[in-house]
Amino acid sequence: MERTQIIDSFAAAARDPLSYAKQWKARTGRPVIGSFPMNFPGELAHAAGALPMILQESDDPITVGHGLLFPFYCGYTRSMVDQAVRGDFDVLDAIMFGDHCVQLLGAADAIRMQLTNTRVIFFQLISSMCDPWTQGRSEESFAKLRAELEDFAGAKVQDEAMHASIRLFNKNRGLIRRLYDMRKKGIAPLGSVEMQHVVKSSMVMDKAEHTELLEKLVRIYDSAAPLPARNVRLHLSGHFCQAPKPELLEMIEQCGVTVVGDDLYHGFRYISTDVPEQGDPIAGLARWYMDRNTGVPCPTRVQNNVDWDAYLLNAMRDEKAEGMIVLMAKFCEPHMYYYPEVKEAFEKADMPHLLIETEHDGMALESLKTRVETFVEIVKHRQAA
Amino acid sequence: MNIAVKSPFEEKKANKLQSTRIAGKLVNDYWEMVWRAKEEGKLVCWYEGSAINPFLEAADICWVHGEAYSAMLAARHQEGTAQRVAEERGYMRELCSYARTHLGCAVSNQRLRGDNAGATPDEDDLTWKLPPPDMIISAYAYCSTGQQWDEMTSRVFGKKIPIFNVSLPWIWGSKPDAGYLRGQEWEETSTYVERQLFDMVKFIEERTGKPYPWDRLYSMMADIRRASELRLEAMELCTAQPAPASFFDWVVSIAPINNLPVAGVKDYFETVLTEVKQRVKDGEGAVPDEKYRLFFDGIMNWNKVGWLANKFAKWDAAVVAGRYTHMAFWQEPSLIDPNAPVRGMAQNYLICPNNHAAPILIDLIMGLCRKFKVDGMVIHASRTCRAFTNPQFMIADTAHKQLGIPTSMFEGDVTDESFYKDELLNSRVEAMLEAIEHRRMVHAA
Ligand code: SF4
Ligand code: SF4
Repeated sequence: MERTQIIDSFAAAARDPLSYAKQWKARTGRPVIGSFPMNFPGELAHAAGALPMILQESDDPITVGHGLLFPFYCGYTRSMVDQAVRGDFDVLDAIMFGDHCVQLLGAADAIRMQLTNTRVIFFQLISSMCDPWTQGRSEESFAKLRAELEDFAGAKVQDEAMHASIRLFNKNRGLIRRLYDMRKKGIAPLGSVEMQHVVKSSMVMDKAEHTELLEKLVRIYDSAAPLPARNVRLHLSGHFCQAPKPELLEMIEQCGVTVVGDDLYHGFRYISTDVPEQGDPIAGLARWYMDRNTGVPCPTRVQNNVDWDAYLLNAMRDEKAEGMIVLMAKFCEPHMYYYPEVKEAFEKADMPHLLIETEHDGMALESLKTRVETFVEIVKHRQAA
Repeated sequence: MNIAVKSPFEEKKANKLQSTRIAGKLVNDYWEMVWRAKEEGKLVCWYEGSAINPFLEAADICWVHGEAYSAMLAARHQEGTAQRVAEERGYMRELCSYARTHLGCAVSNQRLRGDNAGATPDEDDLTWKLPPPDMIISAYAYCSTGQQWDEMTSRVFGKKIPIFNVSLPWIWGSKPDAGYLRGQEWEETSTYVERQLFDMVKFIEERTGKPYPWDRLYSMMADIRRASELRLEAMELCTAQPAPASFFDWVVSIAPINNLPVAGVKDYFETVLTEVKQRVKDGEGAVPDEKYRLFFDGIMNWNKVGWLANKFAKWDAAVVAGRYTHMAFWQEPSLIDPNAPVRGMAQNYLICPNNHAAPILIDLIMGLCRKFKVDGMVIHASRTCRAFTNPQFMIADTAHKQLGIPTSMFEGDVTDESFYKDELLNSRVEAMLEAIEHRRMVHAA
C-alpha cells in the first residue's frame, strides 16, 4: 500500500467519523460508544466489545444548537450539542465521559435531554492530580465506568480482555510516537494536516485496523534518510478538545514553516502515554491517567508540581524548534487561565511565540497569514542574529 | 431657569429591607479585619466557592473569600484596576470575571509587596490590599474554572504557598434512585467529600501546628444552622403578596450567610426575620406596587444590584426568588448535626445552585416558581460564568412548557460591567410584562 493510500484512509475516517461508525456497526453488528475528550480510556470500551470513538467537532456551522448553548462557548461544545440536536449521533449506542470542564458539563446536560434514547454515562475523574488519593480515586472512577460498561454490554469485562485491549492501544500509540520521532528527525516528512489525520483517525477507527495501517506507514519511512530542512522549525501548542482546522495548519506551513512537534490533543497529547501492561488493569488505567499529566501537562488538570510551560520549553529544545505557535480555541477557559504562565515563561526564556485564537465559524485566514509571516520573519532574524 | 420635574414613575424605588443595611456594615468590618490580619499575626487562607470559612475561623485563621472580594470591588465600582492588571498579565476578557478580578488583585499584591520594591501602593486602591496567603484551599463545586483559578493564584505566588484541593463531584443523577439529596450517588459522593474535609482539617493542623479545635467548630455550626433556618423562614414568608422582601435583599444577605464572621450572623437574620414578619403584617411590599412576581435565574450582576432592584421596582415587578439566592448557602440546615457537622457540611457544599445535573436542578427551580407564584422569569445570561448559563435554555423551555410562563433573557456578567446590555434588558423585560398582561386578559375573559 502506498503512503498516500494509507493517509487517505486515515483522512476519510477523520473527516467523517460518524459514517465510519455506521459502516463499522453494519459490518460487525457491535455497539458504538461515543466519548468526550480528553481522558476517556478507550481500552475499557474496546474490551467490552464496542467501538470507542472520541466525538469530534464537525465543520458544519452551528444552527439548531444555538437554541441550547450560548455563542460564548467553545466551538467543541457548541458543535457537540448541534450534532446531537440534528440527530447525527443516532449511530451511537451510548455516550460516556469523565472530564468535567464546565462548558462540557453544559453540553452533556443538553445532550442528555436531547438524546432520550441514548445512555449517557458520567464518571467524574478527579482533576487534582497530586493528592495522596488521586490514584485511588481514579481507580474508583474507572471501576465505576467498568461496572457501567458491564451493565451496558450485559456481560463482564474480563481482565484478560482488558489486557489485550491495553496492549493493542499501547502498540498503536507507540507507532504514532515513532512517526513523531521520525518527523522530528526529518525522516518522515509528514505535514501537520497529515499528522492530524493519523491521530484523529486513531481516535475514531477500529484500533486493530488502524494499527495495521500504521505499521505499513512506519515501514515506509523505516529506511528513509533525513531530508535537509530549510524551513523555520516550529512547535504547535494548545487546542484541546477539537482538532485545529486543516486549512489553518496548511496556511501556517505555507508561510515557510515546518512543524516539528506539537502538544495538541489531536496530536502528541493523545498518544503521549502508555498504560502499564502488567497487573490490575484498572490500577493501570489510573496510573496512565496520572502519568499523562506529568508526561504532557494539561491545563484542564491542576498539578502544582508540574509545569506546562517548562514542559513546552523542554520539548522544543528536544525538537530543535525555534518558536511556537499557540492555537487557542476561542472561549476555552482552561487554556485562557494557563496562557499567562506560558507567555511569561517564554518571555523569560527569550523564546518567541505567537498566539492565534481560533473560531468554529470561520476565521480570517488572510489576516492571520500576515501575522504568521511576520512571526516567521522574526524567528528567522533571531536565527541570523 | 430650568425646573426639573420628576414624574411619579421615576420616583418609584425598591423598598429595601432596612435591616440589610447592617449587612453593609458587617461586610466592611469583615474586610477591615482581613486587611489587618497580618498586623495581628494571623495566618491567612485564600479560598473561593464553598463556605469552608467556619473550618478556618474556628482555627483562628483569617479566611479570604475570592468571589466576595471581587463582588465587593464591583459593588463599589472599584473593579477596574484589578481587571486591567489581570489583562496586562495576559488573562483574557472571556475568563470568569470573578477570577480575573481576583487574579488581578493577586498579581498587584505580588508586585507591590514582592520583588518590585519601590512601587508605592495607593491606600485608597483596594486592588493590592489583600494580605497574601499562607495557604490556599480549593473547594469548588461543579465549576472547573474555580479549581483552575485557585491553581493559577498559587502560581502567581510562585507556587510557594501550600495548596489543598477538595474535589466536589457533580451529581449526575442518572440512576433510578437518584434525586435531590437521595440515592446511592448522593450518599457515596457525600462520603467522599466528608473524607476529604477530614484530610483538609489535617492540612489546617499542619499549618497552625495545633490540634484542631473541634468544639469551636461545633458551636459555630450550631449558630450557622440556626442562622440558616432564620434566613429560610424569612425567605418563605415572601410567598406573601405583596412579597415583603426581594431577590435583591437576599443578594445583599449572601455575605452574612456565606462568609462573614459567624458571631454576628444569627443576630443579623433574626433582625431580618423580624422586619420581614412585620412587613407581612403591615402588607408592605419590597416594591411599592407589586403587579408582577418574577423569578431571577442566574448569578448576580454585582455592579448593578441597587440599579436592578430599582429598575424592577419601577416596573412594579417584585423579583421574589432566584436560583442564586434560594438554592445555595447553607441551604439545607437540617443536614448539619452540630455534634458531628462534617458530613452535613460536605453535603451543603454539594448543593451549590449548579451542582446537580439539569433534570434535578430544573425540577427544583420549577418548584420554587410554583411556590412563589411567579408570573414570569428573568434570566441573566452572565457572559463569563458558564456554570450558571449552562442549563438556562432548558430552564426557559421547561418554564414555558410546565408552568406556561414567559421568560426573558438578558446579557450581563458577574463583575465585568462591559458585558451588561441595558437596552436589551429593558426591551425584553417590557415585552415579557406585556405577555403577562396579555395572559391575564385572556384568563379573565
Ligand atoms: S477544555 Fe476547552 S475546548 Fe475542551 S470543552 Fe473545555 S472549553 Fe471546550
Ligand atoms: S465561572 Fe462562575 S461558578 Fe465558575 S468560578 Fe467563575 S463565578 Fe464561579
